[in-house]
Amino acid sequence: MIIDSHTHVDKVGWYDPPETILRLMDEAGIDKSIIMTYGDAPDVEGSLEYIAEAVQKYPDRLIGYARLNPGRGEEAHRLFEKAMEEYGFKGLKLHPVGNLCHPAGAETIEIIELACRYGAPVLFHCGDEELTLPLQIAQAAEECPEATIILGHMGGYFHWKDAIRVAERCENVVLDTSALPYPQAIREAVDRVGSRRVLYASDGPGCDPSLEVHKVKMAHLTPEDEEAVFHLSIETILDKVTNSGDRS
Amino acid sequence: MIVDAHVYLGSCLFGYGQSLDEVRARMERLGIDKAVLVPVKPQDYHLGPANELVAQVVRTHPDRFLGLCRVDPWQTEAAVSEARKGFDEMGACGLYLDPWEENFQANDDIVSPLVEEARHRSKPVVINAGHPRVSHPTQIWDLACQFPDVQFVACNGGQINICGLLLFEARRMMEACANITVQTAGTYREDFLEEIASEVGEERVIFASRSPVYDQEFEMARVRLAHLSESQKDKLWSANALALFH
Repeated sequence: MIIDSHTHVDKVGWYDPPETILRLMDEAGIDKSIIMTYGDAPDVEGSLEYIAEAVQKYPDRLIGYARLNPGRGEEAHRLFEKAMEEYGFKGLKLHPVGNLCHPAGAETIEIIELACRYGAPVLFHCGDEELTLPLQIAQAAEECPEATIILGHMGGYFHWKDAIRVAERCENVVLDTSALPYPQAIREAVDRVGSRRVLYASDGPGCDPSLEVHKVKMAHLTPEDEEAVFHLSIETILDKVTNSGDRS
Repeated sequence: MIVDAHVYLGSCLFGYGQSLDEVRARMERLGIDKAVLVPVKPQDYHLGPANELVAQVVRTHPDRFLGLCRVDPWQTEAAVSEARKGFDEMGACGLYLDPWEENFQANDDIVSPLVEEARHRSKPVVINAGHPRVSHPTQIWDLACQFPDVQFVACNGGQINICGLLLFEARRMMEACANITVQTAGTYREDFLEEIASEVGEERVIFASRSPVYDQEFEMARVRLAHLSESQKDKLWSANALALFH
């Protein structure tokens, strides 16, 4: 069983209909993928609906996250509530490069707290760019200890050691393996924070899910750890999600 | 046939490195026929002995290895002399410039005399590309426009940005400059490499690992799993590199 914790479906910009990721999932032997757009709602009109339609069309294969611009305040909150309660989404995606909101800025903290009410994980783009560095996102993780904060790409090319250090420091931080080009970083992450806090992810379809699966296998994990990375860890996170928002 | 167009040799100031025995053992295990060796920046900062180490290996194993000559443009005249020595006495198959580790901008005027040396001998210039501020795709592009009759090889697919924001610029660079080839190592998004090979030119991409900075076995998988035809992959694995480096 493999669940890909970070993939993209979108109708604007990088055009990737759901069938593109499904084809690559089949090639790689991936059972389910978490999908999100490349752009933020509500800045990109209809983006949440596009994800909702894809999930509705392929309910056994696709799981939706809402990518939102926290700077849109109440409007973003209403959209997240709608995504969770009407569309059955399972998480929140934040990409500070796109919306210029600091990961620990007041507007971001407010929407993370809203995600907490649903027990929903918050997946941050976490790379080498300003506003996305692991030590910047750590400030949000420390301010919201109840939140599950996922560092997508676990710090990218130059900041993966920071990402592991942040995960050691903050128990609510989880690492996703997508796109970074170092199999040994996955092994080090598992050794230092445990496989239950590391998620297989591809950042497909641009990044090839088959290659990303191969990367995890090259980390030479124990069968138990590999199973956790490939699906058990994200299943545990998603099991805590409630779509009624009454978790607290 | 598989040619790895970028393998570092030696122990580097920045913590990475590998011996010849390690290089050869891994090539044997992975089925790599030939490698282009690149000198590292050693602990003592002196590139001359690092170039000599590569040249010695190439002289001893000419069937398995080619070698680049690495120079630091900040050494000005001494760098030009080292480049001449590399080409004329050490048999270097190209020049290696590392704006990231030597801290210069790829299109700075100090680079020009070195590229001239490569141009006189019809040798390619390999550049550690994609690093913001020193080897951004626009800077590689600018350099390539200054020397349209020199072949440039851009490491890292010409761009290092896990956001994808440099993909646009790297694609534009490749479309604008027929004299740039990209290496596969560490490239963000496999579809970028697939699109360059399929839409810009199948002769414009070469397999390279930049081992041990990147994992050689993983970098081979990047090509093996690519959504390209077998004939396109043959070009990536060896034909394109052999056409550039001789």
